[in-house]
Amino acid sequence: MTVSAQGVAREGVIDLSGGAGPLVSQRWLTERLRDPSVRLVEVDVDPKQYAAGHIPGAIGLDWAKDLQHPTRRDVPEPGVLAKLLGERGINERHTVVLYGDSANWFAAYAFWLLKLYRHADVRLLDGGRSQWLADDKLPFTTELPSFAPETYRIGAIDLSLRATVAEVLPLAVAASARAGARTHAGADAGAHAGAGATSLVDVRSPDEFSGKIIAPPGLNETAQRAGHIPGAVSIPWGSAVNPDGTFKTEAELRKLYIEDKGVRADAPAIAYCRIGERSSHTWFVLRYLLGLRDVKNYDGSWTEYGNLIGAPIDKA
Amino acid sequence: MKVQVESERDLQRRVFDSVLDMLPDVDNPTPLVRVRDAVPSGSVLLAKLEWMNPLGSVKDRAAWAMLRGLEEAGELGPSRPGRGVVEPTSGNTGFSLAALASMRGYPVRAVVPAKVPLEKRLLLRLAGAELDVTNDALCPLPGAEDGAIGLARSHARAQPDKYVMPNQYENPNNTLAHEHTTGPEIWHQTGGGVTHVFAALGTAGTAMGLSRFLKAQNPLIKIIAVQPSAGHDVPGLRNVSELGVSKLYDPALIDRIVEIPYEHAYTRAARLLRREALRAGPSSGLIFEGALAVAADEPIGLGVMIFCDDVLKYTASMAKHLPELGDAGGPA
Repeated sequence: MTVSAQGVAREGVIDLSGGAGPLVSQRWLTERLRDPSVRLVEVDVDPKQYAAGHIPGAIGLDWAKDLQHPTRRDVPEPGVLAKLLGERGINERHTVVLYGDSANWFAAYAFWLLKLYRHADVRLLDGGRSQWLADDKLPFTTELPSFAPETYRIGAIDLSLRATVAEVLPLAVAASARAGARTHAGADAGAHAGAGATSLVDVRSPDEFSGKIIAPPGLNETAQRAGHIPGAVSIPWGSAVNPDGTFKTEAELRKLYIEDKGVRADAPAIAYCRIGERSSHTWFVLRYLLGLRDVKNYDGSWTEYGNLIGAPIDKA
Repeated sequence: MKVQVESERDLQRRVFDSVLDMLPDVDNPTPLVRVRDAVPSGSVLLAKLEWMNPLGSVKDRAAWAMLRGLEEAGELGPSRPGRGVVEPTSGNTGFSLAALASMRGYPVRAVVPAKVPLEKRLLLRLAGAELDVTNDALCPLPGAEDGAIGLARSHARAQPDKYVMPNQYENPNNTLAHEHTTGPEIWHQTGGGVTHVFAALGTAGTAMGLSRFLKAQNPLIKIIAVQPSAGHDVPGLRNVSELGVSKLYDPALIDRIVEIPYEHAYTRAARLLRREALRAGPSSGLIFEGALAVAADEPIGLGVMIFCDDVLKYTASMAKHLPELGDAGGPA
C-alpha cells in the first residue's frame, strides 16, 4: 500500500495482492472512501453517467472537455490541466483512483494522461462503474463532492510513455520492407524483426484492422485510408476484460498477449487505436498487469497515421 | 392452414373496453400473412405482423407483462406513491412502456442510445417520457454492459424512491410474455403446423419465450435467430457477441444463428414494401433475409417470422442506407 504506482513500475514488480498495486479492488476502495489522501475520479465515455449517479465523493471529469486540448487533438496543456485538477480539489500528492463506464475505457485514458504528466500515485478501480452498479449494497449518490481547491504542481510530459509518428513510421517502413523481402525471397526470409524489436499492438476492432471500415459508424475523427500499420498485431482492447468489466487474470492476459499474439515481454511495445483512448487501456494492461518495462501509447493513432501521404499500410 | 379460434366470444363484433384489452393473446392474435417475394418454391414463410400491436411493436407484450409484474410485486402502485419507471430502450420498449405506464399514472424516464432514430425519440417524448440520450457503441465491447443500461441502472440505484427499472434484459416477464401470448398464438394460428420460427435478438426475450412454449408442443420446431453482422446499426438488435447484456439469453434454446450483413436489413425492408405492400422495418427485413438464407439450404415447411415493427419510424435510417432515396431532397 505504501508503494506508489510509480515505485511499483520502476521495480517492474506488480503487486496485485490486496489491490495495493495500480489496479485496486472494490474492497480496497470501500475502505478508503473517506481517506483524505485519496481522490476518487470518474471518467466516462458518456459524461451523463456520472450525473445520473456516482460513488460518493467521486469527482467527475469529462474526457472531451477536460482531458483533451480544445483544438489541437492533443493532450491538454500542462497549465490548463493543473488548474482544472487544483480547482477540483486534487494535488499531485493525492492517490488518484480512477474508474468509469465501458470497462474503464476512458478512465484508463485518464490514467495514462496523469502518468504522462508524472502524477506519482494513480490507481484504476477493477470492474469500473458497471461492477460497482451491479452490487446494490455499495453506496451510490447524485450528490456532488465539494473539496477545497488545491494547488496542483504538474510535471513535464514523460516521453517514455508516449510514441509519436516519428517513432512509429520507421517501424512501419521496416516491417513493410521485411514483408516485401519475404514475398521476393520466399517463405520466412526476413520475416522476423529480430531481438529487441518493438511490438506494435493495434487494439481497434477487427474490421478497422482489416480495413473493412475506417472507423466505427458515427464518429467524427477519422482517416482518409483504411487498414493497419505494417507489422502490427490485432488484439482488440476489449479482449483484456471479462464480460463484467473486470480485467482478466494475469495468466489469461499473458497467454493472450504474449503466448498467442507474440507481444514480446522483453522488448518495447507500442499500442495504438483510432484516437489513443482504447490504446490507453491496453497500455495499462501491458505496463501494469503484464509488467512490460517499455510500453508507449501512440495517441496520434489511426486518425494521424491513416492520413499520412505515402505511409505504408497493410490490409486484411 | 386456416384455424378457427376456439372462443365463446363473437370476435367479429368485438368492441374493446380499453387499449389493454387490445393487447394480443391467443384469442386476439396479431395477423400472420404469407410472404411470397423471393421465397423459393417448396418453402412457406409467414410474417407475424407485430406492428399490429396497439402501440405499434412487439414490445407491447413485454412492456405490459413487466408493468403488471411490478404492480403485483408492490414495486409500483399505491404503496409506492410518486415512483415511476426508468428503462434502457432502443425506442419500442420505451414507447410501449411510456404510454402504458402513463396510462396507469406512473412517470417514465427512457434512456435511449443516440443511434436510435429521431422519430422514435420524439415518439417517446410524445408518450410522456423524460429522455436521456446516450452515446453507445463508440466501439463494440463484447459482453460489457452498454451505456444505456448503465445509465438507467444508475437512476434506479441513486434515486430508488423515484424510479424502479423494469429491466427488459433481466426481467423474466419479458420472456414469459412470449411464452404466454406470442407462442400460443403461433401454435393456434398454424394449427400446430409451424416448423420454423425466425426471430431477431435484442433482449432475446422473444426468441426465448417462443422457444420455451413451442418446443414444449413440438420439440422438432426449429428456433432460428437472425443477427446483424458485427458493427451493425440496426436499431433494437444485437449480434450474439453483444448479448452479454441479456440475462435472458440461453443459447441452448436456439437451434441456429444466421448472420446477415446488416445493410441487407434496409434493402430487404424496402423491397418488402414495394413487392408485398408490407411496411416492414429494418429488423423485419433482416429476419426475412435470414429466413431466405435458411430456405436456400433446406425447404421450410411452415416458417413464421416475427416482424417486430414497421418502417414508418425509420425513414431517416432507411435514407442513410438507401442512397436512391436521396432524390427525395433534404428537410422541407
